[in-house]
Amino acid sequence: MRKRTIFTSALIALTLVTSACSKQETAPQASPAGSPAASAAAQSGTPKNGGSLVMAVTTDPEVINPIYAGDRTTLTIDQALFAPLFQINDGKKTFYLADSLTASPDFLTYTLKLKNNLTWHDGQKLTADDVVFTIEKILDEKQHSFLRSSFIIGDKPVQVKKVDDTTVEFKLPQVTAAFEGALVQVFPIPKHIFENEADIEKSDKNNKPVGSGPFKFKEYKQGEYVALDRFDGYFGGKPHLDSVIYRVAKDPNASNLALQNGEINLKLIDPQDYKKINDTGKFTTIPYFEGRLAYMVFNLNIDALKKKEVRQAIAYALDKKQIIEASYTSLDFADPAPSILTPDTLYQAKDINPYNTDVNKAKELLKAAGADKLKLRLAYINSNKAQTSQALYVQQKLKEVGIEVELQPLDSAAFSKKALNKDNKDFDISFGGYIMGFEPDAYKSLYVSTEQYNYSHYSNKDFDTLWNQAAIETDTAKRAELYKKIQQVVADEMTVYPIAYTKSIIAIDKKYDGLKEAVTKPVVMFEDLSKIFIK
Amino acid sequence: MYQVIGRRLLQSIPMLLFISIVCFALIKFAPGDPVQSFVTPNMKPEDVERMRHSLGLDQPNYVQYFLWLKHLLTGDFGYSLVNNRPVLEQIVTRLPATVGLMGASLVIAVILAIPLGMIAALNRNRFVDKLLNLISYVGISIPTFWLSILLIYVFAVQLHLLPSMGMRTIGQDSFLDIVKHAVLPCIVLSFSFLSVYIRYVRSNTIGQLKEDYVQIQYAFGSSKLRILFRHVMKNVLLPIITLLGMSFGDLITGAIITETVFSWPGLGSLGVTAAFGFDYPIIMGITMFSSLMLIVGNLLADILYSVVDPRIKV
Repeated sequence: MRKRTIFTSALIALTLVTSACSKQETAPQASPAGSPAASAAAQSGTPKNGGSLVMAVTTDPEVINPIYAGDRTTLTIDQALFAPLFQINDGKKTFYLADSLTASPDFLTYTLKLKNNLTWHDGQKLTADDVVFTIEKILDEKQHSFLRSSFIIGDKPVQVKKVDDTTVEFKLPQVTAAFEGALVQVFPIPKHIFENEADIEKSDKNNKPVGSGPFKFKEYKQGEYVALDRFDGYFGGKPHLDSVIYRVAKDPNASNLALQNGEINLKLIDPQDYKKINDTGKFTTIPYFEGRLAYMVFNLNIDALKKKEVRQAIAYALDKKQIIEASYTSLDFADPAPSILTPDTLYQAKDINPYNTDVNKAKELLKAAGADKLKLRLAYINSNKAQTSQALYVQQKLKEVGIEVELQPLDSAAFSKKALNKDNKDFDISFGGYIMGFEPDAYKSLYVSTEQYNYSHYSNKDFDTLWNQAAIETDTAKRAELYKKIQQVVADEMTVYPIAYTKSIIAIDKKYDGLKEAVTKPVVMFEDLSKIFIK
Repeated sequence: MYQVIGRRLLQSIPMLLFISIVCFALIKFAPGDPVQSFVTPNMKPEDVERMRHSLGLDQPNYVQYFLWLKHLLTGDFGYSLVNNRPVLEQIVTRLPATVGLMGASLVIAVILAIPLGMIAALNRNRFVDKLLNLISYVGISIPTFWLSILLIYVFAVQLHLLPSMGMRTIGQDSFLDIVKHAVLPCIVLSFSFLSVYIRYVRSNTIGQLKEDYVQIQYAFGSSKLRILFRHVMKNVLLPIITLLGMSFGDLITGAIITETVFSWPGLGSLGVTAAFGFDYPIIMGITMFSSLMLIVGNLLADILYSVVDPRIKV
């Protein structure tokens, strides 16, 4: 009935984890010059048509319907099957089904203009009715869409109405800067398919989805693959590839071999496998930011950690570059993180105290706090290789400043259960990770004192007020200033120690091109598969 | 005979009931909440509670169990919490893949184990026996996933003789193509079964060869082969039948690792995904099927016992 979130997929498939993360689509990162991505981009030649692309996915899709999709596999498939209204990359909108989005001067009304002559895969016209229907179904409590909360502002729903066939109007109950962030998650579903379905989530029609993206549904064999065919009526132009196949490959070692054997053409690989795959010379490897932060959180329910100086001392005792080298093999696959906001998030401040390693300062702070012989319990998920390496590093490094660390590797479910307990005193520090998207307001759920995912249990009314003010501030400069203050507070109070902005690595057979135009995208790998072609 | 079978099947009902209670309790006592794996930080508490209610997870555990049982008695295995598809449909769709793979592996293992085990027994403590012993020990100790990866590397990546994953080539639906895909996982599973069965056949054959009836046959001038295949084999088969009966449950869940490594679309991989997602309707469905198969397997083993050795009654 429900979709697992990206968060949960990340728990199982990736190295991060536990804490929370939104389903918000985040903006792709520009690849640094000289990086493998840049070299891949430089290869783009004249597009040719034909051929297929086989992508590895680690699980079967869940409900193939974008108002329910939350796991990595389903989101990846939906990205090709359904078209979004628009996407936001590096703060700039790229319009897909929509032609424009205009806010009224009071920011209480948004007008969305659709492109003309949009069609669904079955040939029916895609109009404002479909957009209105999608939003109404998202808001319908009986449909259980996880997107519903994004369209409830101050306990009141956003109102949506059709103006004409290509125009939709949204009325907000109160000003919120987060509305575009909510709308960017919307991939319309066809009204003519679902209008008579009482429970869309359980509808058989999700098994033969009709979308508006560059590829249309062909077949799904459970446990094996989902096959999509080219949609010639795609508004963005006929895709180059004839088909895209998502092949279920659960075991990473076996799927790496299948990649080398040519049975899979594209997959995400671990940093540990990068050299092995890259050295074959058969693949273009693209490390790219997924907008993900790996962090360490201090549990302020614990008396010893209530003193700010102790937390700061721990931060000074650690070296983020060394942590990255220990857990992600090299700095090529993660950047040291100074802020709790990831680089793709709006208003990420660049001048936050990065807590450069200073062991003497750490010792002084500990002495000043009267915490000379501190013993701490560090919890992490036992199946997470990166966290295991981080834990061993932290244990060793904190020993140098006189802190004894007891490691508590836990099963992911047990870890989550303990971490979500507001009175948790079972461990003192822990590791986590999140992908929150471009809209900083989404981070609120991890830091405001009353929120469930406030793992640090830090409580400060002024700090909460800053988040609430920033959410409704429509002046860009003022909003940036508010978020800068928020980032500074977290750094000064050291409730969360940001470790690294980690990268994902795509490996794709060298015969494919058009990768730059396809644009790397967090979670789903590529934003627009219609641009990929065989050389 | 039919009465006995009917009685045995009736006796299995309380057993299945007991298994379902234990399985349900284990799922519920395990740390983790299905709803927590569905929610995002941005969701409002009332939406989360609505979701919990819609899944029936706000009810006491015993109520949830009885509701599940009530539906099961009408043939409704419920819906997956993860993908909303009917549990029964998913099990039935994947059942042939697992049963086919496991069935073929078991048959191959038995067909090879009987002559090899007998050869080992006849050549006790000689080179052939020691070689088969070594193979057997290797087969028992070798990790399945390691052997799988090794075979994929050699036969798929290096020699390009066989596919490395899946059950079919995309777009093809021929039996031969499925067989080609099944070769490597079948080798892995057969090797694992074979290693155990050879040991059983060998030790049983050694025991039987000491029996009076064998010595009498020798005295009558019967050939070694005739004694082995006409007289000894029947008795050697008895423990194999027991093992096979016990393996019936494995037909459903015995290939979890192999299915995962080879991306074989069977029940094992479905079970793993369900376990990670706290998808209890799927876990319960697979457990019930597996338990039923085990019970049926044991019943069949008992019937076969009486066929092979008429002195034994069902």
